[in-house]
Amino acid sequence: MQHEDPRNGESVHRGSKKSKLSSKFITESDIRDEFSHHHPSVARINNGSFGSCPGSVLTAQRHLQMQFLRQPDAFYFNTLRDGITASRKIIKDLINADHVDEVSLVDNATTAAAIVLQRIGRSFAEGKFQKNDTVLMLHCAFQAVKKSIQAYVTRAGGSVIEVRLPFPVNSEEEIISEFKKSIEEGKSNGRKIRLAIIDHITSMPSVVIPVKELVRICREEGIEQVFVDAAHAIGSVKVDVKEVGADFYVSNLHKWFFCPPSVAFLYCKKSASSSDLHHPVVSHEYGNGLPIESAWIGTRDYSSQLVVPAVLEFVNRFEGGIDGIMKRNHDEVVKMGKMLAESWGTNLGSPPEMSPAMIMVGLPSRMCLNSEEDAVTLRSHLRDHYDVEVPIFHQVSKDGEEGVRDKDGFITGYVRISHQVYNTLEDYEKLRDAINQLVEDGKTCKMLYKE
Amino acid sequence: MNGTSAPAAVPPQPLHITPAEVISEFSHHHPSVARINNGGFGCCPSSLISFQRQIQMQWLRQPDEFFFNQIQPGMLRSRNVIKDLINTDHVDEVSIVDNASTAVSIVLQHMAWGFAEGRFHPGDATVMFHCAYGSVKKSVEAYFVRAGGSVIEVPLPFPLNSEDEIVQEFRQALEKAKQSNRRVRLAIFDHVTCMPSVVIPVKELVTICREAGVDHIFIDGAHGIGCVDVDMKQIGADFYTSNLHKWMFCPPSAAFLYCRRSSESSSLHHLVVTHEYGNGLARESTWIGTRDYSAQLVVPEVLEFVNRFEGGIDGIKRRNHDGVVEMGMMLAKAWGTHLGCPPHMCSSMVMVGLPACLGVLSDEHTWKLRTYLRDKFGVEVSIYYRPPKDGEVGPLTGYTRISYQVYNKVDDYYKFRDAINQLVHDAFTCASLPNS
Repeated sequence: MQHEDPRNGESVHRGSKKSKLSSKFITESDIRDEFSHHHPSVARINNGSFGSCPGSVLTAQRHLQMQFLRQPDAFYFNTLRDGITASRKIIKDLINADHVDEVSLVDNATTAAAIVLQRIGRSFAEGKFQKNDTVLMLHCAFQAVKKSIQAYVTRAGGSVIEVRLPFPVNSEEEIISEFKKSIEEGKSNGRKIRLAIIDHITSMPSVVIPVKELVRICREEGIEQVFVDAAHAIGSVKVDVKEVGADFYVSNLHKWFFCPPSVAFLYCKKSASSSDLHHPVVSHEYGNGLPIESAWIGTRDYSSQLVVPAVLEFVNRFEGGIDGIMKRNHDEVVKMGKMLAESWGTNLGSPPEMSPAMIMVGLPSRMCLNSEEDAVTLRSHLRDHYDVEVPIFHQVSKDGEEGVRDKDGFITGYVRISHQVYNTLEDYEKLRDAINQLVEDGKTCKMLYKE
Repeated sequence: MNGTSAPAAVPPQPLHITPAEVISEFSHHHPSVARINNGGFGCCPSSLISFQRQIQMQWLRQPDEFFFNQIQPGMLRSRNVIKDLINTDHVDEVSIVDNASTAVSIVLQHMAWGFAEGRFHPGDATVMFHCAYGSVKKSVEAYFVRAGGSVIEVPLPFPLNSEDEIVQEFRQALEKAKQSNRRVRLAIFDHVTCMPSVVIPVKELVTICREAGVDHIFIDGAHGIGCVDVDMKQIGADFYTSNLHKWMFCPPSAAFLYCRRSSESSSLHHLVVTHEYGNGLARESTWIGTRDYSAQLVVPEVLEFVNRFEGGIDGIKRRNHDGVVEMGMMLAKAWGTHLGCPPHMCSSMVMVGLPACLGVLSDEHTWKLRTYLRDKFGVEVSIYYRPPKDGEVGPLTGYTRISYQVYNKVDDYYKFRDAINQLVHDAFTCASLPNS
């Protein structure tokens, strides 16, 4: 593995096996080439935010873009629709959906949330739901999802229940028990829960949620519909939509599945109301079903939706394909997480089995990270002064609850490190050393504001 | 001349783009297709594609840094360029979206809230032309009608001889609303209609709407910018949208939505909601989740490109108009037909009657004929079916919409002329085309 050899610019073959089989897989040097457009001196340990796309897929994308520009009318009439259908079929198989018409391609999870929530809002406006019927979401839901609930549900008269999950977390049981408790509270004054929105992998702080179990609980509790926001899932954890059992499931393909920005799939389980789900941008395809509506929302560049076959070719160059990539990313990020926690004398935010290709690592309490602003400042400081790109999380301690401590005080800040195929040991050592330097220099977050 | 000191050097005239450079800028177009449908999907010169690529690579190189430091200033630069181009004072009136369809959905969703929140009442009307673009009609259905509104359609006379014919029909529609006691909440009409394509006297229609107490006026100027004069102060509408990738050389895709400052402007929202929700439509539109925003960030470079042409965008518009009218008349003469409207009602597109013997007798025929022209003759052009009216004797039922853009040459139109003449010679009819 590349981490056992110090980076010295030499190409190292993956694995210590010298069997002939390994030579047909992508090499370390190939990988470096594929991601040579990344900034060479930045320790890019934030794949979770904006993802990454290899050179060969970008080339395939360019080819499609030039095809359109060369003769757009012919492209529209002869190439576009079939190309999107081909991508949808690949995704249907990847996620174990029954029918390709359960799979729509949209720009990103944020768009998918608007699609589902717009329908919920309409149900309130049209009197199908009563005022004060409710939508349930996680307290740490992605900010765009929270705002979408405000824009479509609250505005239309619906109410919201927030489920506060524990963090740091030690087991799935903690999440399940907290979730059950919140539903009880939510239903306590006779409110009907019309929709539950559950992350598959929360964004900040990042943890894998036991969605299958939570969906089952939702069904038992009579929650009408469940929407799983799995923005980070595909390419990072196993995705089996039938097993998860939700009504809606969305995941971004540009985060962990090497697609160029941007494309996501929205899975909608077939039901009596499927035909009433619409893309908010209306075109002449309105009424032909969400997958067809989403395949044409006016003149735009659809090339990122058309390169899914090229992406599949790319991942299959790796040993074990996407499964192999997922496993190695997970193993490495846990290893790096432990290395950082040990060096800083801190903790991991969740056990390895609840961390996919990302993990939360506590920052030394001496950094005194006490606000969201501190987190933003530290992040910018690491980018500008240390060439390290990593998101920072401010852990708000609950009243009366004892937080986790290191030798100097309470741990109030975490980094979320990612591992993707282009990462090297050096990236994490750079982060390790940067934090150690700041601590050694006696720098707290407040002191960084001036720099 | 005889050894006296040389005169002071004349400062060099600004060099305009040469014909050879224009050919080079569009060398990625299919070389053997007569591409006379710029109105369909627009075009983008190579130098702008290169700029766009640079921006795409900047993002891919270090996306976080781009997100935190580049996107907002870049979007603001683009919006300021547009603000000046369309003559409005406030940059917060200018939002950048993907395309006119998106802009239409944004405005119509706002109308739907009007019904849901009790500001509008069931039956309140919208007035629109019967030939409004497909996505606009569907958006009205999806948002306005579904929320309880009604629709009054204005027939667009075609072929046309003057603006008056349009104005009369529009007045009648407003009168119809008045007679049926329906409050008109929204008038939505094109600046340049798509099919059939004519320039609508928007300023006059806006005046009529204001007189009649129409609540909101929304102009779908999808073909507007780069094709006709787009001056927000002069036109006076509440909302105006135009695609930048059709006639303004932007890569796919970018459009602007102008929203006149009003007590309502802050309650207009983008349909895709992010953490920017509530910061005003312009700001909301700058970030609708992770995506490629490069087409929206090259607008300053687009302006530089058009300014390489003599007269800038105004020069381009004028030459395109003159070119398309000349070509339209050439075709009409060759085929023994006529133009769909007088030249001053044409933009950079013109409708030309097709010989009646071709038998364009339905919408399906138009698709089939278009495909046939593409596949057999290498001609890309839009075809329109104009249903005959009761009592008409021998009207033309088939028209073509030709476009003219800087990359077009006379040969493109000759190719089309000859293709149609060939079909006529071969006694071709649309009915003979196989079902697809």
